[in-house]
Amino acid sequence: MPQLEATPTIDYQSDTYKDAYSRINAIVIEGENEAYDNFVKLAEMLPENKDELISLAKMERRHAKGFQACGRNLEVTPDMDFAREFFSKLHGNFEKAAEEDDIVTCLVIQALIIECFAISAYNIYIPVADDFARKITEGVVKDEYTHLNYGEEWLKANFDDVKERIETANRENLPLVWKMLNQVENDARVLNMEKEELIEDFTIAYGEALANVGFNTRETVRMLTHGLRSAA
Amino acid sequence: MFGLIGHLTNLEQAQTVARDLGYSGLADQDLEFWCSAPPQTVDNITVTSVTGQTIEGRYVESCFLPEMLANRRIKAATRKIVNAMAHAQKIGLDITALGGFSSIVFENFNLNQIQRIRNITLDFKRFTTGNTHTAYIICRQVEQAAPKLGIELSKATVAVVGATGDIGSAVCRWLNTKTDVADMILVARDRARLQALQEELGRGKVMGLEEALPHADIVVWVASLPKGIEIDFDSLKKPCLTIDGGYPKNLDSKLKHPGVYVLKGGIVEHSLDIDWRIMKLVNMDVPTRQMFACFAESMLLEFEKWYTNFSWGRNQISVEKMQAIGDVSIKHGFKPLLSIVES
Ligand SMILES: [Fe+2]
Ligand SMILES: [Fe+2]
Repeated sequence: MPQLEATPTIDYQSDTYKDAYSRINAIVIEGENEAYDNFVKLAEMLPENKDELISLAKMERRHAKGFQACGRNLEVTPDMDFAREFFSKLHGNFEKAAEEDDIVTCLVIQALIIECFAISAYNIYIPVADDFARKITEGVVKDEYTHLNYGEEWLKANFDDVKERIETANRENLPLVWKMLNQVENDARVLNMEKEELIEDFTIAYGEALANVGFNTRETVRMLTHGLRSAA
Repeated sequence: MFGLIGHLTNLEQAQTVARDLGYSGLADQDLEFWCSAPPQTVDNITVTSVTGQTIEGRYVESCFLPEMLANRRIKAATRKIVNAMAHAQKIGLDITALGGFSSIVFENFNLNQIQRIRNITLDFKRFTTGNTHTAYIICRQVEQAAPKLGIELSKATVAVVGATGDIGSAVCRWLNTKTDVADMILVARDRARLQALQEELGRGKVMGLEEALPHADIVVWVASLPKGIEIDFDSLKKPCLTIDGGYPKNLDSKLKHPGVYVLKGGIVEHSLDIDWRIMKLVNMDVPTRQMFACFAESMLLEFEKWYTNFSWGRNQISVEKMQAIGDVSIKHGFKPLLSIVES
């Protein structure tokens, strides 16, 4: 039987690490900032859930602050322009859906796709993070599960009415996730996070979310693999 | 509710099965894709005991493929197994068998050190390797098939290939205390472990494979080899009963050898039809009734509500435990496969 290779030690102070971190850290901060904006927007769209959504939004603001501290701790300046460009398409799709008062698409983008993206990336990051960032990320990931849960519960409660709309939103937005993962593949590898693992953890989290919402296994697999091939 | 964690035998089969099950998105994917694929519940199973009791289970496809080991995608392979276990626990399965390579990968890479998977802490009590039942069934196959070929155990020499493994050592213990087998030959790579086993049994000759084969009336294959081995069939006694209980199958011969009889080891047949789709796709001769004994172990533990990791760790299988699982195996209508094929 072949052997499992040992995890390499990571030099968090090396130039290579810090360079990659300047982009990954920016993506995380920008993701949290946009999540804040998105939940504030959702609170306007769903007045009956306003208080809950505002409290979720506030968590995202705390997360952004936490990750800014992680960057400062490693003396890295996050490349925010890169991060805004990174999220621009997904962000544009959310804004467009919000203008059309399309709650389902907004929830799919923020509460399912972005939350699952965050959960999987944070879970992969935790074992290879520096001590300071590890503690912060562990706290953050717990919150993200409650955000995901909010989206699951809302979509589940309205499943029969919104099923097709979810499928459309998935078709339009999931391919963006695969492209985004390709874009960060090299930087993520410097941080000891493999794309293969990121995809796997994302599909586990997102697949479970779709199942909780009400899709069967065959539908889930079809939705998960959408756009995966063209992105690879 | 019981569970089975399974996987397919190779990439080509995975693609065919995905197509047959209607997972069109998976049918044209390559190994790279399977390395990042998530576990899935792909079948609901209903099993009825001859006592009339009925139980429900789930089949979890781990998306592990043996090519991952061959291509040194070890991390991917280990992730498949722990992710499938986390999935099984998440969907509330009480006792789940680690089928095929799952338990081998788990043991070999010490995955018991990885107890925390994302937001799940694995509860190992909910899992079983199924090795106790597999070892029991192989022993019963030796006892029941040998007389059919005119081989008397009290005059026979049994060679156990892979003797120091979890299943192999259990088979040796049973043959030593429960049968009057005349002689035992222990074949394995690790000298120290062979000596320890020989001391424990108080008997058995240690030999290399080639040296051992010409002496054996019965050969039990339970090594976990990455692929089958080629042996010199002419060197075997005639008749010779070979029971291939390795995973994957140790023997890889399509040639004819009169007097050499091959029995698929560690396979059971249930007395009643089982309602499942997945087995039709995984190369069993009678898919509604035949299965790996390790899978049947989780069914037996569910029938008896023995919610515990009955088979766990290495070389812990006692004759008493084999007898206990054997008794409930008979009670619920499972029988060792006895269709012998002249190779
Ligand atoms: Fe967040
Ligand atoms: Fe969040």
